[in-house]
Amino acid sequence: MTKLASALLAGASLLAASQAFAQEALPQINDSYFKQAEAELQKIIDRKPNTGKAKNVILFVGDGMSIPTITASRIFDGQKKGVDGESNKLSFEELPYVALSKTYTHDAQVADSAPTATAMVTGVKSSNGTIGVSQNAKYEDCSTVKGNEVTSIFEQAEKAGLSTGVVSTARITHATPASTYAHTVNRDLENDSQVKEAADQGCKDIAAQLVDWPAGNGFEVILGGGRSNFMLESQADPEAADKMGARKDGRDLIKDWQAKYNDGAYVWNKAEFDAIDPAKTGHLFGLFERSHMQYDTDRAKDKGGEPSLAEMTTKAIDMLSKDEDGYVLMIEAGRIDHAHHAGNAYRALQDTVALSDAVKAALAKVNQDDTLVIVTADHSHVFSIAGYPKRNNPILGIAGEGDDKKPYTTLGYMNGPGAKLDEQRADLKDVDTQDPDFLQQALVPLGESETHAGDDVAILAQGPWAHLFQGIVEQNMIYHVMAKATEMASKPQKQASAQ
Amino acid sequence: MDRRDFMRTALLAGVLPVAGTVPALAATPSLKFRELYVRGNELTDKAKALEGKSVEMVGYMAPPLKPEIDFFVLTKLPMSTCPFCESEAQWPDDLVLALTKEPVSVVRYTDLIRVTGRFETGFKKDTETGFVSFVRLVDVGYEKL
Repeated sequence: MTKLASALLAGASLLAASQAFAQEALPQINDSYFKQAEAELQKIIDRKPNTGKAKNVILFVGDGMSIPTITASRIFDGQKKGVDGESNKLSFEELPYVALSKTYTHDAQVADSAPTATAMVTGVKSSNGTIGVSQNAKYEDCSTVKGNEVTSIFEQAEKAGLSTGVVSTARITHATPASTYAHTVNRDLENDSQVKEAADQGCKDIAAQLVDWPAGNGFEVILGGGRSNFMLESQADPEAADKMGARKDGRDLIKDWQAKYNDGAYVWNKAEFDAIDPAKTGHLFGLFERSHMQYDTDRAKDKGGEPSLAEMTTKAIDMLSKDEDGYVLMIEAGRIDHAHHAGNAYRALQDTVALSDAVKAALAKVNQDDTLVIVTADHSHVFSIAGYPKRNNPILGIAGEGDDKKPYTTLGYMNGPGAKLDEQRADLKDVDTQDPDFLQQALVPLGESETHAGDDVAILAQGPWAHLFQGIVEQNMIYHVMAKATEMASKPQKQASAQ
Repeated sequence: MDRRDFMRTALLAGVLPVAGTVPALAATPSLKFRELYVRGNELTDKAKALEGKSVEMVGYMAPPLKPEIDFFVLTKLPMSTCPFCESEAQWPDDLVLALTKEPVSVVRYTDLIRVTGRFETGFKKDTETGFVSFVRLVDVGYEKL
């Protein structure tokens, strides 16, 4: 061995020794946080991107599930379970790949759910209030629907012979689920009585679009709320004899759906839902409320009984996974958004936990090697986590005191029903801010509804091509990853996609 | 009677305690909205036991049709037509009809109020308005929280 080689070897071993020494010498090496982060790092180092074909796709949408909503919900969930809330993890926090989604729309800084859902399932941005149409369609101008329809990945999947499903705790005709099948310039046209003269101008109500959906053999699974949009005004609701259906056009859409599917089952309550055997049922249609399904907080008190989002998810996967060609499924936790609009954080957080339970149920059922699972939100809300509350402080509790010597809560809203009109804010000294019905205080009084927000939302994913979610991306990229993963673009199309 | 007059009358009559000045009606049991029903319109044991008794409930006054009223609808959360929740007025299942002794003024539908009144249950149709109620508070007074 030459002197140089010896010196180099000696130097190398010295370097290795000094590195080892330096690491061993770190005073924090046995610190619990340090070790936890090392373990997390190793998991990431061991991660292998999956470039196989996605047989199945499940798109979970937490409507209005902003990043503070996720943070607050994990703390809420942990504290309810009696574990450390701050380090608790919701099920979807375990998904390996993450990106941020830019939610602005073709015509707005702050989006509503119609164009954002359209972006996710069709790959284009469009105008607020419109569903399943391109940027060329104009809000409320029914003459601009025709020729501007865009094709959703659900329509592509049906045409390619896959199975499809749509599940929501909101009305199934509400913007997010409607994006999978509807094409309209006004999200509010959920039943024919809302369309009126717009019918002559080219608009068709969303409920009728669902039942008449021409793609393939139709959704194998439809589960959600919004029963009145499918029932005639002469038909009494099964849960309330004094409440009637909404339709004036003489079309009993539930009956129409039943006539369309010999292998189908329609259900409207939990007992009927539980009795469904997926192996013996080809198509499943469940409408569990006249309007939206109950908040998860209130679900147990529902007269007819409602399945949880996790139960609907499990049933949907059991139904769809019979198809050897695969499936595309949307599952929406639609009422996180509604609770935020009401300025009621408790129900928003509980519905986020219900989404976490649904994702957990899905992950337990699917083969992660062939199923792309995505969890995201359509837009944010003006909801924040404020002050300097101590670790383990109740997430719904008091964070501190303002200059007005009144307590303020950790959670609050920039605007909404929680603001007083031309009055000083309430003193919360003797108020139970952890009560499920408490409305967090807000700055700007908007009694009818707290608003959406324009900040980016999270995309979390696992499975084939999930690693394509990285960085800060446009929301409509979600479609493109789903299409790439499923090789949907190469599937034969009976008709070309609209531009 | 305008709202200020009503407040004065109510205070004189001892109907309307003001926080911090009059002791809370300690003897009056409170009833939360979530304590009304087991499921559907099946009343809880607590609600059944309070039938005919004076109770306190906290909630919101749904926007009434006219400025001065002798009844209003008490709701768990502010009742309004949320642009992204409801395309039509969809009343919740657990609303409470509050019937006042005398005409009262309206408070904003986002103002939290504590209502005290005699608790009644059972379907009843108001002959004048046709409004069907299942749970009522009768002879109510309220305070803004």
